[in-house]
Amino acid sequence: MVFSGIPFLYFFLPPLLGLYFLIPGKFSWGIRVKNVLLLVFSLLFYAVGEPKYIWLMLGSILSAYIFAQIIDRLEKGRGILLAVSIGISLIPLLYYKYAGFFTENINSIFGADIPVLRLSLPIGISFYTFQLVSYLADVYRRRVPAQRNPLSLALYVSFFPQLIAGPIVRYSDINEMLDHREHTLENFSAGALRFVVGLGKKILLANTLGELCDLYRSTGEKTMLFTWIYGIAICCQIYFDFSGYSDMAIGLGRIFGFHFIENFNYPYMSKGPAEFWRRWHISLGSWFRDYVYIPMGGNRVSLPRWMFNILTVWFLTGFWHGAGWTFICWGLYFAFFLVLEKFAKPVIDKIPVVLQRIGTLFIVMISFMLFDAATMADFVRNVGNLFNFANLAGAETLYYLRSYAVLLVMALIGCTDYPKRAVLRLAEKTGTAPVMQMLTPVFVTGMLIVCTAYLVDGSFNPFLYFRF
Amino acid sequence: MNVKKVSSIATAVLFSAIVGGFFLGHVLSPDGEFTTSERRRLAQFPEISASTLQSGTFMTNFEKYSLDQFPLRDSFRSLKAFCAYNIFGQKDNNDIYETEGYLAKIEYPMKENQITGAAVKFNTILDTYLQDAEVYFAMVPDKNYFLAEKHGYLRLDYDRLQNLFFENLSPDFQVIDIFDTLEIGDYYRTDTHWDQAKLAETVDRIAEGMGFTDRLTGAYTENTVENFYGVYAGQSAIAAEPDTLTYLTSDVLDGCTVTNLETGATTVYNLDKLTDGSSMDNYDIFLDGPAALITVENPAASTDRELILFRDSFGSSIAPLFVEAYAKVTLVDLRYLSSEYLGDYVSFGDTDVLFLYSTTILNTSEMLKVK
Repeated sequence: MVFSGIPFLYFFLPPLLGLYFLIPGKFSWGIRVKNVLLLVFSLLFYAVGEPKYIWLMLGSILSAYIFAQIIDRLEKGRGILLAVSIGISLIPLLYYKYAGFFTENINSIFGADIPVLRLSLPIGISFYTFQLVSYLADVYRRRVPAQRNPLSLALYVSFFPQLIAGPIVRYSDINEMLDHREHTLENFSAGALRFVVGLGKKILLANTLGELCDLYRSTGEKTMLFTWIYGIAICCQIYFDFSGYSDMAIGLGRIFGFHFIENFNYPYMSKGPAEFWRRWHISLGSWFRDYVYIPMGGNRVSLPRWMFNILTVWFLTGFWHGAGWTFICWGLYFAFFLVLEKFAKPVIDKIPVVLQRIGTLFIVMISFMLFDAATMADFVRNVGNLFNFANLAGAETLYYLRSYAVLLVMALIGCTDYPKRAVLRLAEKTGTAPVMQMLTPVFVTGMLIVCTAYLVDGSFNPFLYFRF
Repeated sequence: MNVKKVSSIATAVLFSAIVGGFFLGHVLSPDGEFTTSERRRLAQFPEISASTLQSGTFMTNFEKYSLDQFPLRDSFRSLKAFCAYNIFGQKDNNDIYETEGYLAKIEYPMKENQITGAAVKFNTILDTYLQDAEVYFAMVPDKNYFLAEKHGYLRLDYDRLQNLFFENLSPDFQVIDIFDTLEIGDYYRTDTHWDQAKLAETVDRIAEGMGFTDRLTGAYTENTVENFYGVYAGQSAIAAEPDTLTYLTSDVLDGCTVTNLETGATTVYNLDKLTDGSSMDNYDIFLDGPAALITVENPAASTDRELILFRDSFGSSIAPLFVEAYAKVTLVDLRYLSSEYLGDYVSFGDTDVLFLYSTTILNTSEMLKVK
């Protein structure tokens, strides 16, 4: 089940909202009952999409619960237990996500004939595994006490808004909220607004731009112009798809009284790759920083060691996104530009800001063309098409440009913070803030209805990050 | 109460009312069986069992069910079409576009293997069954031929299509070009098909090519059926004005005996289709709609010549106009009848044979069952 689907919006959410807000939240028992309800619905949410793997997730939670209790109580030998517990948490991820990749490559390199496992990836495993690892590490570092209530830990890991596509919420960020949180009209309203904004990003922009990308992939007319359109479209699609889903997660969390960390901050406004990664998938970037990069020594080490740290982190970042060489290359591609940016900073700083932004966008566009490519050969061919002046445009290119021009312009503007700033400035200068405020319910209603119309019209609505 | 609080209350109430209202609407309203706008059965509530839950098929089917049975479904589809055209400025919605008051579906890209495959398949029929027959071929242009280029829509390269097809078609086929006998006004505005009442020039061209002009009188009475919503009206989900469906009758046609082994129909025009709910497409009044094999016997014929018409759905409405020139017309639809069984049902010999196929079918010739 995905948020941007009729079953979630109109069959899962209404009964949950109804039951949840019928339970009084003013008393401590009320919060406990609400948590049980959220846990039951979260497991149901997971089970309807992936019934056979729910036991895997519950097993991982139980394992982390037990190990955290022991680590929390011990004074000695905690490091070994941490390593063992993290190893156990990672086993399902390694098995289901990477076993096939490793056996294929071993077969290929050594000419072996090991049967290749073709396993379907348990939904959300990359996200909840990282949450469990961060929980265990934080308990080990005594940043948080181990959670005594197994149901609370299960709710932290399986809470449906962030279960299948993040943000990767740290236990330390929400452990207080598990027992004490506010349910206010403002929270509900702000959450609903954030949710429909995300829904609109996903359904109206990402899905429609996805159609344009599909058209490029299937066309025989891979002209230079069409390839540029595809490059821009794939950047916008991935951004709106993922940030839309994060918005929906954050909005849903807010409705239920949880405040999740932001996951995106207008990444396409960045002036360099480092800034891009501070604005893009923030929860993943900060996870790798805090649980891999800094424990390895970060940048307070010798130059060769720092280079090794950077390569390791970006290798893992790419590998986390998918068990394939294109994803690994994608991660290392960013490592290259991050190192380059670091050394060339004095030169880069002299370049006009607008050119820095354009350069960053180009680097990111190429990276997402790699991310999207089925094979390295496809990627190389597509990049070549960007500069194929002998094949500028054709009838198909021009038709799709005309048909998607408005959407592309909307998407490009929507990637920036200009609309938000314009609205705020307009409200401030004209004193229309109250009017804007009153337009919120109109916007929420309109967006929800239009998104529903798009959902009802189409029956195929895959989510890009579903299988990560 | 301040503005922020009022806004919060309104947002929370409206959000809850929409998700809750449609939840209740979906649960409480009876499920539909068919969608007339899309001409298909609607998904029904899926079977719940341990195996369907475990395999995930329940959820997959439930998603289809929830979409198909959503309250105000057609209105939502219309809203989506409105947004696609008017807010996002898209040229088409689900490949359907409207121009000059006509609805058409983009037929693109041209699949060369399908075009050559069609020719090869027809050659196979020729070699297997039609050695003694006079065999003709006529290609029917789809609506895009008249509309697409002028208005900037994607279209097949019709010159290339014809060259490719006829290069691969056996020279034993005598080709009759009917492209210039047609114009966009000869087609229904909301449907893929042509209007039977506007085919006189096309019939004359084919008759001239096949040598039966002298057996045609062209004397028909026009009959109309109002409020004909063609296939594109539903698919487009926009508020299209209906067409008027026209069918031509004559004493000769009234006196014909039709044999359709699948449906048991006995008349050239099955007007029961308009009222008995057996069809969601009024165009099905022509020779009872899609059928593998139909024969029309004309007791008033001035000849004993027979015609075998290999055809797609365009053939249903033009075939009655050939009937007065033949003692018997046999219509074969290779989409539903495999060529290997043709000899069991059709007597080939010294007959006239016409292959009448639209460019749309030629571009998707994989659906022709020829072995």
